[in-house]
Amino acid sequence: MSKVVITGLGLVTPVGIGVRESWESFIQGRNGANEMKSFDTSKYKVHRSCEVKNFQWDFALENQIRENTIHKYVYYAAREALQESGLLGDTRFNRERFSLAIGTLAAELTPFERLLRLDVSKKDNGFDKIVAAVYPPNSITNMLSQNFDFEGPAMISLNACSSGNHAIAWAYDLLIDNKVDVVMVGGGDMIPQTEFTHFHNLKALAPERCQPFDKNRQGLMIGEGAGILIMERYEFARERGAMIIAEMSGYGLSCDGFHMTAPHPEGDGAVKCMSDALKMAKLSPRQIGYINAHGTGTPHNDRTETIAIKRVFNEDAYKIPCSSTKSMIGHLMGAASAVESVVCCLTLRHGIVPPTINYETPDPECDLDYVPNAAREVKVDHIVNNSFAFGGNNATTIFSRMG
Amino acid sequence: MKKRVVVTGLGVVSPMGCGKEGFWNNLIAGKSGIAPMSAFDLSPYTCKLGGVVRDFKPEIYLGSKGLKYLNKGTRFLGSASKMALDDARLAQGSFQPEQMGIIIGSSLGNFSETTDYFYEIIRDNPSELSPMLSYDVALNSSTNYVSVIFGIKGLARTISSGFTSSADAIGDAFRMIQRDVVKVIVAGGVEQVSMDLYLIFYLRGLLSGLDGARETSAPFDKARNGFIMAEGSYVVILEELEHALHRGAHIYAEVRGFGNTFTGAKNHPADICVHRAERAMHEALINAGVEKEGIDLISANANGCRLQDAIEAKAIQSLFGVNCGVAVSAVKSNLGESYGASGAAQLISTVLSISSGQIPHIIHSREKDPGIDLNLILEKPVRKHIENALINTMDYEGNNSCFVISRVK
Repeated sequence: MSKVVITGLGLVTPVGIGVRESWESFIQGRNGANEMKSFDTSKYKVHRSCEVKNFQWDFALENQIRENTIHKYVYYAAREALQESGLLGDTRFNRERFSLAIGTLAAELTPFERLLRLDVSKKDNGFDKIVAAVYPPNSITNMLSQNFDFEGPAMISLNACSSGNHAIAWAYDLLIDNKVDVVMVGGGDMIPQTEFTHFHNLKALAPERCQPFDKNRQGLMIGEGAGILIMERYEFARERGAMIIAEMSGYGLSCDGFHMTAPHPEGDGAVKCMSDALKMAKLSPRQIGYINAHGTGTPHNDRTETIAIKRVFNEDAYKIPCSSTKSMIGHLMGAASAVESVVCCLTLRHGIVPPTINYETPDPECDLDYVPNAAREVKVDHIVNNSFAFGGNNATTIFSRMG
Repeated sequence: MKKRVVVTGLGVVSPMGCGKEGFWNNLIAGKSGIAPMSAFDLSPYTCKLGGVVRDFKPEIYLGSKGLKYLNKGTRFLGSASKMALDDARLAQGSFQPEQMGIIIGSSLGNFSETTDYFYEIIRDNPSELSPMLSYDVALNSSTNYVSVIFGIKGLARTISSGFTSSADAIGDAFRMIQRDVVKVIVAGGVEQVSMDLYLIFYLRGLLSGLDGARETSAPFDKARNGFIMAEGSYVVILEELEHALHRGAHIYAEVRGFGNTFTGAKNHPADICVHRAERAMHEALINAGVEKEGIDLISANANGCRLQDAIEAKAIQSLFGVNCGVAVSAVKSNLGESYGASGAAQLISTVLSISSGQIPHIIHSREKDPGIDLNLILEKPVRKHIENALINTMDYEGNNSCFVISRVK
């Protein structure tokens, strides 16, 4: 049986540009929340989110990359991941066996909104050739292909907040079936006012900070950024002498089929996708050393996720560190599970579990080990990464130390 | 051992009617679903035709409760899914929800509604807008809605890969059932016509009727000059063969093989584009274990774009040989180009060709393009026994996704 491995990582997050800076912030427990800058929030009750800060655009003007679109974050993370994998500029291989799979929730809504704000009176005044060019979601994979010569089958995963994990699962299948050698996977999202309003009016936004699993948690905070992983067939990576960071050992998918915005109260869908992922990875619950929780900080999600984890892991649930990095960077929506997959790989590499920050008051309904407020050194071989999106779109991935 | 995958249900919301019967009768009668678009003001522009869904009554399929909160794409997809599930006799309660999934392809999802919602945000006081207004504005909310109303619990996925989106969704579903992830998948595509989508294609110079050319949906024709945009939703039920046999389902056809390639959205020379398109077809044939001599019908991607149709014709000629004589149909002549939903439309029409032994003809054709040497079905439908058919879908920016479907043995 073939294996799928990770050989490169790239990140742009609200707490750092690049993997090194982001990871330092994660283990220091830095809070990425800030007063919203990208649009005026004076008409809202919430004014904060987790924006990317100090992003410098210092590349030579590359093909089709436009400032102030999600392309720039995805491009940065992709370049970083490719550099680490050793594939950047390597022209030895058949590029038709290099695929792309990127998750996003809003794609290019942000530049469109920016143009529309200039003149609301007529819809087509918001449209110019640049917006037309970036508007279809697959403009993201097209941009990556043009810049990095990935010419295998390309897909955009539109699965709301589990988009990144869905892209990773899709890539895993392609690699296991030996259809391609390399897949650049991940996710990217900015903060469109549309999504901010949507979550705001559902009363899902926390006003100050994100406090997953805390008794007084008030909701999620929207974040932005991108996370990219280079996934390869193990044989291909070995033959070209790549440094292997982790193995992607399985995934599980499910659907609540229950409600457009609320999770299933007993976490049925979450249970199924975690169980299926363990089954595919041929792991027992006991072997899992860390769970990167979906942990959005909404009262519903954190309670049902806790119930679901206990249903899958039984008494072991209490022994497994289970943190939410959304406490630091907010909810990156379509990019969230991609960024969190990068975090899982970094946890395997460094043997350090990032904390759940802003954790103050224990909730009797959320009684697992959430790694409160301080990172922890842990020996860990297998990690579960959960994503449970609105609409009941669930996807769990598992990353393992290369055995 | 890979599982076999069959088609057991069809659902159609199209510019040529809802339901498989009306759709098929109109196709065989050579009718056109293309007409002037009146829903938005096109007076400043030269391209005015579209394949718009008319006389559509979603309440027949979805009931009227809560309908006002659903956008057009969700109504299309919900209705087509309901028809397909009914056609497959998969009423709720009659299947294991964990064994059913949904995979939908859509190039642009609910982008129009999302932007409509944004106009409300900037016109009004955004914090006072009802949350129900944004209930259905995510790019994938149509898929979610179908999973919720039919209680689908296996998986839900939405794929966007341009004009091959629904073909890629069906290919993904095919592979998932082959691997026994689930037994049944609701697969297909949905797209809609709107002003902002119109502008995307208009500004990119893809529509027929630019620069004074005559507006027409004329695949492979000498006078072709672009495509006519269209909307609709096309859904099939893909099912594992044993599961279908066990419950006594009507089986339309078998999905045998899938192949896809990408040209990387680059301005490659045409010969590379031809080669990649040919390789996608070739991979589908190999994946299916069907020789090219065994193909009786090709459902072409052709939508009337000058270069793209020529590339496809060259790729077919190159793979099958210049005088191969294999019949080629192009249903976009009747339906228009419904971008990400087109592949599923072609699948349904091809399934119906296999079961009825008839191939619909290409309409709107006036003059043969001397550069295109294919056995195009023109003027009238053709009766033919079809064992195996090839379905081509191709995006103008580079995805090529092809299937082989066969009569079930």
